[in-house]
This record gives sequence, C-alpha cells and structure tokens, in this order.
Amino acid sequence: MIGVGKIKQYSNVLDKPLSKGKQEVSLSAFAFLFSELVQYNQTQVDNIAELERRLEDAGYAVGARVLELLCHRDKGNRRETRLLGILSFVHSTVWKVLFGKVADSLEKGTEHEDEYMISEKELLVNRFISIPKDMGTFNCGAFVAGIVRGVLDGAGFPAVVTAHFVPVEGQQRPRTTILIKFAEEVLRREARLG
Amino acid sequence: MPPVGPRSGDAIFANVERVNAELFTLTYGAIVRQLLTDLEEVEEVNKQLDQMGYNIGIRLIDEFLAKSNVSRCVDFKETAEVIAKIGFKMFLGVTASVTNWDADGTCCSIVLEDNPLVDFVELPDTCQGLYYCNILSGVVRGALEMVSMKTEISWIRDMLRGDDAFELQVKLLKQVPEEYPYKDDE
Amino acid sequence: MAAIYSLYIINKSGGLIFYKDYGSSGRMDTNDSLRVASLWHSMHAISQQLSPISGCFGIELLQADTFDLHCFQSLTGYISLLFFFLSKKVTRMIQGTKFFVVCEPGTQHMEGLLKHIYELYTDYVLKNPFYEMEMPIRCELFDINLTQAIQKDRVALLAR
Repeated sequence: MIGVGKIKQYSNVLDKPLSKGKQEVSLSAFAFLFSELVQYNQTQVDNIAELERRLEDAGYAVGARVLELLCHRDKGNRRETRLLGILSFVHSTVWKVLFGKVADSLEKGTEHEDEYMISEKELLVNRFISIPKDMGTFNCGAFVAGIVRGVLDGAGFPAVVTAHFVPVEGQQRPRTTILIKFAEEVLRREARLG
Repeated sequence: MPPVGPRSGDAIFANVERVNAELFTLTYGAIVRQLLTDLEEVEEVNKQLDQMGYNIGIRLIDEFLAKSNVSRCVDFKETAEVIAKIGFKMFLGVTASVTNWDADGTCCSIVLEDNPLVDFVELPDTCQGLYYCNILSGVVRGALEMVSMKTEISWIRDMLRGDDAFELQVKLLKQVPEEYPYKDDE
Repeated sequence: MAAIYSLYIINKSGGLIFYKDYGSSGRMDTNDSLRVASLWHSMHAISQQLSPISGCFGIELLQADTFDLHCFQSLTGYISLLFFFLSKKVTRMIQGTKFFVVCEPGTQHMEGLLKHIYELYTDYVLKNPFYEMEMPIRCELFDINLTQAIQKDRVALLAR
C-alpha cells in the first residue's frame, strides 16, 4: 500500500514528537464540525443562556489545551505573568495559531477598569452562520469566549468572558467583541506588582 | 460549457480556504469530552459520534460534489476511490487508500495514512471501548446515503487501540437503482 | 433592464424553500410561487420520463419568447417513487435539490451563475447550524452573498 509506511506508532502519546502546528484542514471541515457542535448542544438545552454556557464550556476545554501547547512549543515553557502580556498573547499568538491572523483589535474598556475587549470583524466560527431572528443577540462566538477564558484561567488570570455582536457604522454585518472582565484578585495582584 | 473532469484532491485542497488542524483537533476533542460527560456510557458516545458524522455527511456531500466536479460514479469501486483520493484530501488534507476488496466488489477498506482527529489523543482506561474517530464513519455513511448507496461501516483497525493504521470497512448494503424505470405491475 | 428576473430553490420533495424576485414586476405572490415551484418539480421529473434514452436528469434550459429558464439539479437526493397512472409504471428516480433562474432571453453564463449559487448554498445554508435540512431557507448571509453574486453578474453583463 502506497504511503502507509508513513505512519509511525508510538506506544505512548507522550513519546510522539509534538507537531509543529503547521498541518491544516479545510475551513469547511471545521465549519461542518462546529455547526454540528452547535446543533448537538441545542438538543441539550432549554434556553439560549444555557446554549451559550455549553458552547463556552466546550471552548474552555480548547483554550486550556492551547495554552499548554503554545507555552511549551512557542515560548520555551514560559508563560506571561502580567495582565497586558497575557492579553497580547491571546490577541496575537493564540489568535494567529487558531484563526490564522491576529485579532482586529484589543482595547481597554472605557467605563470599567477591569474590562478589556478583543474585537473581530468576522469571527472565523461565525463565517457561515446566520442567527435566526428569534434567537436575539445569541452569538456562537461564545465558543471563542470560552477559548479565551480557558487560556486566561490556565495562566492564572480568572475572568468572565462573553461574546457580543456590536453594530458597525456603514457595515451590513455587526462585528463580534469578546468582552473580558477580570476577577478582582487579578487586578489586585497587578496593582501590587506595580 | 465543456464537460469538466473531476479535479484532484490535492488541487482542490490547495485552493480551498484552510485552518490550522489544531483548532479542528482540539474542537473535536471538546466534542468528545462533552459527549462523555453527557452520555456517560462509552457505547452511547460511539453512537452519538456516528450520528453527528451522519448529520455532517448528508450536508457535506453537496459541497464535495460542487467543488470536485465529480459526476455520477459508475460503480461502488469508483465511489470508494473517489472518497479516499478526493474526499479525505479535500476536507482533511490527508490521503487515504482503498484496499481489501471482496470478490463481488461490495466491500472494501479505506486506510488512512494520517488522521488529524487523533493528535494529542490517548484513550484512558475508562474509555477503552471508545471509537474515538467514529464521526468519520458517520460522515462517509451519510454522504453515501445521499447518493443512494446504503452502507454499513465499521472500524477494522484503530491506532488508538494499538493497531498500525486506521482502517474503515465500507460495506455496500444496497444501491438503489436510479435510472432504470422498473415495472411493478407485471 | 434587469437580466435576471427571479430565483427559485426547490427541495428534494418538491417544496419551494427559497424564492427571490429581482424585478419580474411583482407578478407572483407567495402562493403563486409555491404553485409554480411544485409544477416545475413535476415537469422536471416528467422530462426525465420523456427521454428516449435512460440516464436523463431533466430539463436544463427552457426557452420562451419572453424569458429563459435555466435549471441546475444537485446530484444528491432522495429516491422518490413516481406513479404514472396512465402508463401504470412505477418509476424510481433521484430528486435532487433544484435551483432555477428565470432571466431575459439569451442571457449568457447562467450555468456558471447557478453553479456559484449552489456553492453559496453549500456554504451559507448547509454549514449554518440553525438551518434544518429541506426547510425554507432563512439565512441572512445567504441573502447577502446571493445579492452580491447577482449584482456582479449584472455588472459583468453591463461591461460586455
């Protein structure tokens, strides 16, 4: 059989060399999988808030692992310990690896000291998704919010992370903003570190 | 327009928009984790993964046909080759081969050279009965059903269970005749 | 003058799941379009029966003095049983999803446009988790992209 010899077996997954993360699959394959994730979770909930929570949970599992993977592979087993450092890590490194590009913007909330926003004109997971009118402000970006929360939590920056559609002037489609609200302890620690 | 022949899996994959396989792998992992939590029984998880794959298959087949220019396959043999050579490549970026044909050409194996679903994965003791990649068998079954081939698909080899490759056995149960009018009243 | 008058998408069992009017001066209301769609579904099936040789997939182009109708049928589909009572024949045939555009006579490149619409359908309808198979299409992104595709087509026509 042609090419079958390529597969190498490892008795333990840990013996396998870590992939460089250059492998790709089609966006369609991901989109179909993500669509099915949403459809399955819809069968498990009674309301939209629950659906959001479950998508966020799924994303959290991804985020926690992405943090481990990237700290090990790209940062020589080091991770960010400061607030702005970890935010820029999420906005740049994590986004680039998962979505193939740096996020469109990272901003500090104007009204609250503990809030930050990562915005994207068109979130990859939302590329093919139209939200039915009866679902109101629901955003499948809850999954991405979960990823962000997973990364932040794993790095010691617990936060509440949510996804929102924000209308943009002159644009037909709203952008998605991932709103990060850090826990009090995080801000206290930052203040102490000066 | 002149008839256009099917495009190669490599050519299609090179031209479609792609994402990092790790996003795909980890998202799939998150799905399996959710199912294990929700359903508890490994057997139920296997069933649900197959069902989810089926749901994907019945949708994905249209994109496959639209992008590959594959027209009607003359027989099951050609169909199996098309799935392995074009289908797996176009969506997952991996090549598969077809082997182990039975004598009457209704049963064969698709062997995967590489499988992006299982990066980072090891089955824990509690999940030894899990067919981790069962979504793939569902996709193939669903897609084939939409082109009127009823199939039964099972895993023969699974690297997560210590085998040396991933091997899917595809058995054609019945191919519904399409073109031939048949008379019922005679 | 608009080159494309209207677009219909008919599901595998003959139901109209999408209809858009691009300037056929509002001759059709919802009921009309539903009726026309189911008639077209049957005509398309009958045309397969009319074929002197087997393996016919139905009408691709229908020409009238005031319009052309181009039809594209997906290869996927359910097997449906059609009963032809007069010939007492039971025939099984594939009924795929059908896309058809009604346009000005002689409008070119409609095959390409239909293929493109089929691809938009695989992206913005089939990948949408909130779309239920075979049900009416209500997907904002599909509408937006469709409008763009049709406009582009008009631009291409104007440029000729």
